Amino acid sequence: MNPFLVIPVLAQARFRPEFIWENRDVFLGGVRLTVFIAIVAFALATVLGLGVALLRMSKNRLVAPIMAAYINIFRAIPLLVFVVFVYYGIAIQFDVRISAIQAGILVLTLQYSAWLGEIFRGGIQAVSDGQTQAALSVGMSRPQTFFRVVLPQAIRIVIPPTGNMFIGMIKDSSLVFIIGVPELFRVSSVMANRTFRYFEVYLGAVIFYLILTTAAYFGVKYLEKRFALVDVLTTRVRSPLARRRGVRLRMIQEAVASERESKSSGTATAL
Amino acid sequence: MSQPNGTSRPVVQLRKIHKSFGANHVLKGIDLTVGQGQHVVIFGPSGSGKSTLLRTANLLETPDSGSVWFEGKEYGAGIEGEDLPRGKARLLRQQIGMVFQQFNLFPHITALDNVALALRRVKRIKRDEAEHKAATYLDRVGLLDKLGAFPSQLSGGQQQRVAIARSLVMEPKVMLFDEPTSALDPELVGEVLAVMRDLAESGMTMVVVTHEMGFAREAGDLNIFMDEGVVVETGGRELYDHAREPRTRAFLQAIL
Ligand SMILES: Nc1ncnc2c1ncn2[C@@H]1O[C@H](COP(=O)(O)OP(=O)(O)OP(=O)(O)O)[C@@H](O)[C@H]1O
Ligand SMILES: [Mg+2]
Repeated sequence: MNPFLVIPVLAQARFRPEFIWENRDVFLGGVRLTVFIAIVAFALATVLGLGVALLRMSKNRLVAPIMAAYINIFRAIPLLVFVVFVYYGIAIQFDVRISAIQAGILVLTLQYSAWLGEIFRGGIQAVSDGQTQAALSVGMSRPQTFFRVVLPQAIRIVIPPTGNMFIGMIKDSSLVFIIGVPELFRVSSVMANRTFRYFEVYLGAVIFYLILTTAAYFGVKYLEKRFALVDVLTTRVRSPLARRRGVRLRMIQEAVASERESKSSGTATAL
Repeated sequence: MSQPNGTSRPVVQLRKIHKSFGANHVLKGIDLTVGQGQHVVIFGPSGSGKSTLLRTANLLETPDSGSVWFEGKEYGAGIEGEDLPRGKARLLRQQIGMVFQQFNLFPHITALDNVALALRRVKRIKRDEAEHKAATYLDRVGLLDKLGAFPSQLSGGQQQRVAIARSLVMEPKVMLFDEPTSALDPELVGEVLAVMRDLAESGMTMVVVTHEMGFAREAGDLNIFMDEGVVVETGGRELYDHAREPRTRAFLQAIL
């Protein structure tokens, strides 16, 4: 019984591209869950990652090495092994009631919080020390300095690498198929095994993953543009918010200029 | 502009300031009194501790020992044997402005917001009022037309003038300048010095680290030569032509 003999026989079926369209509902069901898992896990990983980054930079002699260990451990375990270990290993051994979807999200969140933590730390540290000094020198508090001066600059720095991580998350979410989560890859492989239409089914999966990652790519581009810095007084701006800001700035300008005029003419008559 | 040396009421007093970075003893017991309206110029070779001293004056750098006296209150580590109540660094910084060699404008917000930020967040002034006041200060440094520009869209000289407005708007009692023109192209130095001259004439108390000898001669009521973490020599306007210490003379000759 040589298993390699089976495949060439199956592969001879005629290519039917319409098969993908006919089964779109099955694919879309998987897409929906893939998107849900990726977004939820990524949102959680972002919040956790920011905490990890801040604690990793702590001056405390205990906290910083603990966070360094956290990052190294969760980055180092292969995702597939990690998810199986959590769902079949830990959950059964310690009788933790956890659904496959929850286990998948948990594992993705932990691993991505480690990656994102390092990206965020890099972004925060890339903001020069002079920025902190300038903010403190005008009397701002440490938290104000962090949230109003350092963090907004760090966000701009980390948007591109964080966007790449989100695209990675969409792809990595396929690994939770192993514990039976019916996301895009899982529903595809079930369908393939049932219909023997391997080529059509996996082509469909590839197409849907490409659509998702491409959409994410354009989302990241959009964010980069949204966070770009534009002078609303000298640039033609389209967004209503920017336009209103332009009108406001022009009003302030005119008010201050006319105050200056009236002051100087006032002293002129006094002389 | 010519405040007679030492006759005015003291505003800031640094006493026995010591600061080390690891084994590097950078400030070795500095004493400095700055009087109301006085214009102090500090100069000296690279690495002598000028920037560190300025940063200590508003506690951006905490001295290992020594005290910063400001308007009747003691700040910083303190002097051994004394036991005076210490004020909060943040309170001190709200009353002392600082201008940096690298400008350090906030690159993610407009010139107007750079100036208005502390008004709103520190002084808790409402947005309309804060922005109006910020614009008035930008006008004062000749940049009313650059309200909406981001720092990257401004020349070095313009950035430094915004930075000066950002400090001035908080109405500090003392302004510290750390080599405010050294990072500028030569043709942009003049516009920044002009703003500083205006400020000096308006009676602002200033401590300026600079190697712009023209400005120093004209504005410096009290001139201090620092080397290797100590004050080598102090003098009035005559210092630049009649220094007593050979080290001061050698330095002045080298930079002229
Ligand atoms: N944050 C720091 N950490 C470690 N060492 C520092 C730090 N800041 C300054 N130093 C060291 O302290 C010494 C004095 O530095 P400082 O910047 O005060 O000199 P300076 O007189 O301002 O020189 P320059 O004219 O080059 O600006 C130098 O040896 C410098 O390397
Ligand atoms: Mg310096």
